[in-house]
Amino acid sequence: MTAYNVSPLISQLTPRSLGAGNRHASLSVITVCRLSANNGGGRALSQQQEGTTSAINQQKQAYELELRMYDGDDPLDVWDRYIKWIEQTYPQGGKDSGLNILLERAVMKFTEEKKYHNDSRYVDLWIKFTESCSDPLDVYRYMQAQGIGTMQASFYIAWSEEYEKRGNSRMADSVFQEGLKCGAEPLDRLQQFHKALQARVCRQMMTSALNQELDDELHDPQRASLAELKAKGKKKAVAPINRVAGTVGYARGLQFKQPLRPGQNSRLVIFDENKEHPEPQELKESWPAPPTARAKENEQKPDKWSNAKLPQKSRFGHSVIAPPPKPNFQPFVEESDQPPVVTPCKINPAVNTVLSARKPRREEQTPLKRLQELQQHMQLQQEDEDKSGEKSMYCKELLFSGVTELSFEELRAERFRQKCSQKPETACSEEEPHTSQND
Amino acid sequence: MTGSNEFKLNQGPEDSISAVKFSPNTSQFLLVSSWDSSVRLYDVGGNSLRMKYQHTAPVLDCAYYDPTHSWSGGLDCQLKMHDLNTDQDTIVGTHDCPIRCVEYCPEVNVMVTGSWDMSVRLWDPRTPCNAGTFTQPDKVYTLSVAGDRLIVGTAGRRVLVWDLRNMGYVQQRRESSLKYQTRCIRAFPNKQGYVLSSIEGRVAVEYLDPSPEVQKKKYAFKCHRLKENSIEQVYPVNAISFHSIHNTFATGGSDGFVNIWDPFNKKRLCQFHRYPTSIASLAFSSDGSLLAIASSYMQEMGDISHPADAIFIRQVTDAETKPKST
Repeated sequence: MTAYNVSPLISQLTPRSLGAGNRHASLSVITVCRLSANNGGGRALSQQQEGTTSAINQQKQAYELELRMYDGDDPLDVWDRYIKWIEQTYPQGGKDSGLNILLERAVMKFTEEKKYHNDSRYVDLWIKFTESCSDPLDVYRYMQAQGIGTMQASFYIAWSEEYEKRGNSRMADSVFQEGLKCGAEPLDRLQQFHKALQARVCRQMMTSALNQELDDELHDPQRASLAELKAKGKKKAVAPINRVAGTVGYARGLQFKQPLRPGQNSRLVIFDENKEHPEPQELKESWPAPPTARAKENEQKPDKWSNAKLPQKSRFGHSVIAPPPKPNFQPFVEESDQPPVVTPCKINPAVNTVLSARKPRREEQTPLKRLQELQQHMQLQQEDEDKSGEKSMYCKELLFSGVTELSFEELRAERFRQKCSQKPETACSEEEPHTSQND
Repeated sequence: MTGSNEFKLNQGPEDSISAVKFSPNTSQFLLVSSWDSSVRLYDVGGNSLRMKYQHTAPVLDCAYYDPTHSWSGGLDCQLKMHDLNTDQDTIVGTHDCPIRCVEYCPEVNVMVTGSWDMSVRLWDPRTPCNAGTFTQPDKVYTLSVAGDRLIVGTAGRRVLVWDLRNMGYVQQRRESSLKYQTRCIRAFPNKQGYVLSSIEGRVAVEYLDPSPEVQKKKYAFKCHRLKENSIEQVYPVNAISFHSIHNTFATGGSDGFVNIWDPFNKKRLCQFHRYPTSIASLAFSSDGSLLAIASSYMQEMGDISHPADAIFIRQVTDAETKPKST
């Protein structure tokens, strides 16, 4: 099959090459390309993939340009559409999509824009952003302090779910209380989710009540609370009066972790489990610094992982887990899994590090610091400039505001294109390039 | 401003200048591509416009194939070959996005184009026809040829070194040693390395040999910065051109200055007077006697009013371009 393929190829090449005289080097280039274009049966398919990739890249570029060139009164719209498009286009996510960077830039860009603070699109972006953060709860508290999403039911729902995920149903409930107090919209949705939470907690309590014996063994400290509930003394009359249906389980669930203190049962407020948790009132404290950003992927060099230790967090009762042992099998990776864009590279990665080595930066900027700078945007940036004594003499913000950087020429090309579309009589054919005659 | 060793070209382009290139065998002819959608050929000796041909959109780069053929590409995504003797156009092929750079590699006899469609394409200049498309990791911003090697600078500060005789794989995959966007890469005439300039007033001297001993020699330095009221204004370094004989190079920045550097002694050889606006492109003539300087605003600060674009031709002396041998 191969031999059959190559011979017509050579005959194809020969007239052109012979006519060319003695420029052998050039001939070899063409030969290599033609060969590579013809080998392999699945070539047609991969060509198609390349086509899709380039269409995606062009669409991405269009969004990147729109982000920078937008001149209307709703700049959030472009970001919102761009992010939705990325989610559609890169369902697998990952670093390639740039989604996390984009979300971070988007939420940071409009922290000063009060009009967006309770825009459902903006709040949704924040909620998506928290998913990539190392501590989403910090972000939610930060949002509350900034007044972002405080009138949006979705904000309280997401926040509460985060608490619930961590098994802290008291705080989960308190978040809903807060939302109801603030009058977040839509109210019925908030109430619906609140009820669902209560039902879940209730169900949980019923189950645990059945397994009480087991629980008693497991949660020794909590034993006290149960004991107190059963006690009939005057001082201990703290069990909720209303013991109908869900409320019973609910209230018991709350008391499960710590006994209620007298005087605090007037409201259905949740208590602080231990000192680590802020009181609900505390949440309103102003936040001098924005929360920590996303946990970055693939930032560390692989060799460091071997002797890395897992951070020993036991904040939410997680036991410290030993790193999983290295599997003694080779994980199967599908061939088609590799992105077609990557060009094969033969060089030794060790050499590569030498080639790309840079002087160590004096001060590696942590994501937190970067966010801080972004947040206190204008004045701080000005101060920063004064401090370092440097000023970039170009429109830096325009070049670097999206996921990918742009050059002056690309921005200018976009301005040119816009001018052209305003004057349709001008011949601008760059939108429909002619197809190559030689392909 | 124009002294005895320098003059301004007459009948300059009507819009910003994107590239200036001297003819490969004479310092008489200069090719100029412009945002006014045309490519012009100047007779430098006679200070006159010899000819001009059009694209359908702004032209971002041009290159000589031989003394009588010019290749150019730009926002219309078309690669044009123009016969300067007969004034005839040939559309050789297209990219999917605007063509950012056009170069010729004499060693392998191939034209090279780089585009924002994230590819480099090779073109056989004799037929002429496409001789292969090679995907790059990002949009191509600049490229340069060192012998049979091709150095590509893309967005995302990536640098790729290809072997033009075997484009089956990337020979070297690097990250720029500078922190900010790559503006220009030009290879040493001695083919041992290249110079890379960034958008934030910095230039790096790099070597192609990957051995650690050679890599140790690489370095970077600050330039094109102006101190004003104790604040350092940092300008993009847009243009680099090598002196073909001395292996020294000139850099041009958006500060309007042109500096000539001696990379071996790590010294600045000279600085010319300040030009009216940003230096967009630089070209030494093949014999190294002239330097073409395109002073042309590149909308670095947005679409605002600016001094007129112009091309200056400057006679340079050995004192200005030769490394000091002490």
